[in-house]
Amino acid sequence: MVDIIVCIKQIFDLGQIKVDATSKRPITEGVARKISDFDKNALEETLRIKEKHGGTVLALIGGTKEAAKEALAMGADEAVIYSADTDSLGTATILAEIIQKMKYDLILCGEASVDEFSFQTGPRLAQALGIPVLTYARKMEIKDNEVIVERNLETRYEVAKARLPALVTVTKEINEPRIPTLLQILGASKKKLTEISPAKPESGVETLSITAIEMKRKEVILKDIKELARVVISEKS
Amino acid sequence: MDFSFTEEQELFRKAVREFCEKKIAPFANEIDEKGEIPQKVLEDMASFGLLGITIPREYGGSGADFITAAIATEEIARADISMATAVYYLVEAGWGFLINRYGSKKAKEEILPDVTRGKTFLGIASTEAAGGSDVAAISTMMTKEGEKLVVNGSKTFISGVREATKYGGGYVTVVKTSPELARKGLSLCYLPVKDIPGITTNVFKQMGRDGISTGAIIIKNVEIPSHYLIGDWNRGFYYAMEGFNCARPLVAAACIGAAEKALESGIEYIKERLVFGSPLAKFEGMQFQVAENYTKLESARLLVYKAAWMLDQMYANNRFSHKEINKAVASAKLIAPTVAFDIIKDVLIWHGAYGYTKEAGLEKGLRGVASYIMGAEGAQNIMKLIIGRELLGKEFDPC
Repeated sequence: MVDIIVCIKQIFDLGQIKVDATSKRPITEGVARKISDFDKNALEETLRIKEKHGGTVLALIGGTKEAAKEALAMGADEAVIYSADTDSLGTATILAEIIQKMKYDLILCGEASVDEFSFQTGPRLAQALGIPVLTYARKMEIKDNEVIVERNLETRYEVAKARLPALVTVTKEINEPRIPTLLQILGASKKKLTEISPAKPESGVETLSITAIEMKRKEVILKDIKELARVVISEKS
Repeated sequence: MDFSFTEEQELFRKAVREFCEKKIAPFANEIDEKGEIPQKVLEDMASFGLLGITIPREYGGSGADFITAAIATEEIARADISMATAVYYLVEAGWGFLINRYGSKKAKEEILPDVTRGKTFLGIASTEAAGGSDVAAISTMMTKEGEKLVVNGSKTFISGVREATKYGGGYVTVVKTSPELARKGLSLCYLPVKDIPGITTNVFKQMGRDGISTGAIIIKNVEIPSHYLIGDWNRGFYYAMEGFNCARPLVAAACIGAAEKALESGIEYIKERLVFGSPLAKFEGMQFQVAENYTKLESARLLVYKAAWMLDQMYANNRFSHKEINKAVASAKLIAPTVAFDIIKDVLIWHGAYGYTKEAGLEKGLRGVASYIMGAEGAQNIMKLIIGRELLGKEFDPC
């Protein structure tokens, strides 16, 4: 039996965001929100661990009821939502404060949120809770009160283990998240959903502006295939 | 008045869209070119709970209402605009609902779990060579012979004949049981077709929507058990009309789903495509077409969901008379195929010569939607007759 907390952030669906032609700022008005991709992988992994070992899955969500309903429909037993308009340090502080009062064996997070890509929340949360952290997990298993993970370190894979309780951040390659069925969606409304309003902690980092990088084609006209080959070879070298 | 879907319906649409994008859309060209929905797609749809979605949980379904069923139809048709996959889904959703409502317990236990598991196909067999719209002229006979029912006759332009003979399954079949009573002498039965002595089938080559077959069933002294009678003897006309009322909003939802996808892709295209140094979308003529098509699509969509909502209200809360339902359903079925055809045609033209290619993927939508202008699941002129009859009064019914 493993009691797991999965930390989830709800973000704007980046695929729907358009950029204002003049200010280069993203237009978020009317854009749908979704569970951040890697966090969905983390949720899926918790469900797989629960299916194998038993236990409970609590989804701790920085976002709205919509994200909570989706997490519950996917299979989380309970969801807690909170408002998270802060940076990685602030989010980790809020999460640590909530989680300290809870019983858990394992905490899962996505390796990063796909809107900010700070890669910090998971490790900062583990630090605040004083538990071991294993990042970038592409495979994981629970054995004899330990978590064993295969970490993707880009140039190599590393296998490492930690005693429970521990925190693991997962990569996208770890699994393919399930899509909830109609019956699971209808069943989600019967599960426990709590809304909390933690005090907003001091932010370490304040985002001042976000502007899109202008992408321009080089618009080079080449005479023939030989010239194209020369350009490709020279750019490669 | 509140035009919004429930939170659950919104979440379901999101989930179905994701499912369809991953599990159906990648096969859309193959479905049209090979003229078959891959078995894996059907298995995935069954696992996801889409097949027989309106059938109750006790038989493996999801017990979905018609708004929910329409949402799924719309999304499936967006993923496969040839309409084939949506048609496979919607005939089972519409007619599975009817079997559950009027079929015997024994028949339901035998038939429905295999439908929801995706193991067998369930369709509707009404049309005959002498006509489809004139239901009273149906000549396929069913007689009682001891404990058995015996069926003789033939059905034609029936969806899913190849699938039902390949995977097993059968049809909600409209048969004549008391010829002297015209439409009041019709009954409904479930007719299995795979490996049944006396059943022969053939499949027609179609203009489009090839992923699900259309064919004929010849029925010669076919014996079926008495529990395959659906509902009461000689009440078949009313059950069939009810079944069509359940299936038609879904047909209309499929049409708007295909058209939505086409319009969205068309809008993206004209924003990118440069002509005389400007995007096509900068031309007023294009903007007018976009606006007109969007407005027509929204009108059709509203009629579709109104009809589905009215059906749900009728079944859940006993609201609305059959006359009101008939009018709402026929209006949705009347407008949606034509609107969808016109939109896909316009978007195809926006793409110029590329639109005429198979690669553009638009022509299969045009061919698919055309089947519902031709008259599948009820001819357009019949929809007009229904609406006219409900507005003018029964005494003006020409049938």
